[in-house]
Amino acid sequence: MTGNAKAPAKLVLGLTLAVVLDTATQIVWKSAVSGVPDQPSLALTVAAMLHQPSSLLPGVLVGLLMGGQFLNWMTVLEHADLSYAHAFTSLSYVTVAAFAVLYLGESLDLVQALGIVLILAGVWFVGKSGRVAVKAGA
Amino acid sequence: MMTPTHFGILLVLSATALEGFGQVLLKKAALVRSGKGSWRGLGLMFFALEALVYTWSLRYLDVSTAFPLSSLSFAAVAFLSRGLLRETVDRTRWVGVLLILAGASLVALRA
Repeated sequence: MTGNAKAPAKLVLGLTLAVVLDTATQIVWKSAVSGVPDQPSLALTVAAMLHQPSSLLPGVLVGLLMGGQFLNWMTVLEHADLSYAHAFTSLSYVTVAAFAVLYLGESLDLVQALGIVLILAGVWFVGKSGRVAVKAGA
Repeated sequence: MMTPTHFGILLVLSATALEGFGQVLLKKAALVRSGKGSWRGLGLMFFALEALVYTWSLRYLDVSTAFPLSSLSFAAVAFLSRGLLRETVDRTRWVGVLLILAGASLVALRA
């Protein structure tokens, strides 16, 4: 981390937006996949989707969200170290699970919730260690 | 006998491996003096393939299972950057990787 205790408002906004976009991408992605009717083969699935172009919209939305996510992320990285910013976005492991339960009717038990907490701790540890090796590799 | 859930987990694991290789390829592009474009292009192909495989996994898994499991890409990146790029991964980072492995196992166990 860069040492300044107070994160600028712009950075807080960017990080929050990163988590929001991450969450929206995953929830829309899952809904898009669930919305595709079962077909005996991949070719038939593709054919059925091309036959009804409106079925492609959720997929397009996922693409747009990912594009927005990329642009926002580039801005965030202008204002923060990668290790700090990346560790912060691991919060989306919590929000994605929460929204999946609330809006998609998925279930999550205590063991899985504990698993997500361990993942958060893990991401934090990965980000905490030094990020630049002095020795140049090739 | 492989259940649809097991198959879905296998797909997410493949997606995280693809993410790891894609990241290594992008880093390789940053390291080499010439031919950056080819490494970068190859890396992007891995990411595109990863998106397809992850989409396929969502056919079989809840997103509340698939997304946390995708955190295994941290482990893949640690192993591959050590093995293929000869980067040093310090102890703190290995602790993080172990915690992620443990957490992902718990999530998968109840999938």
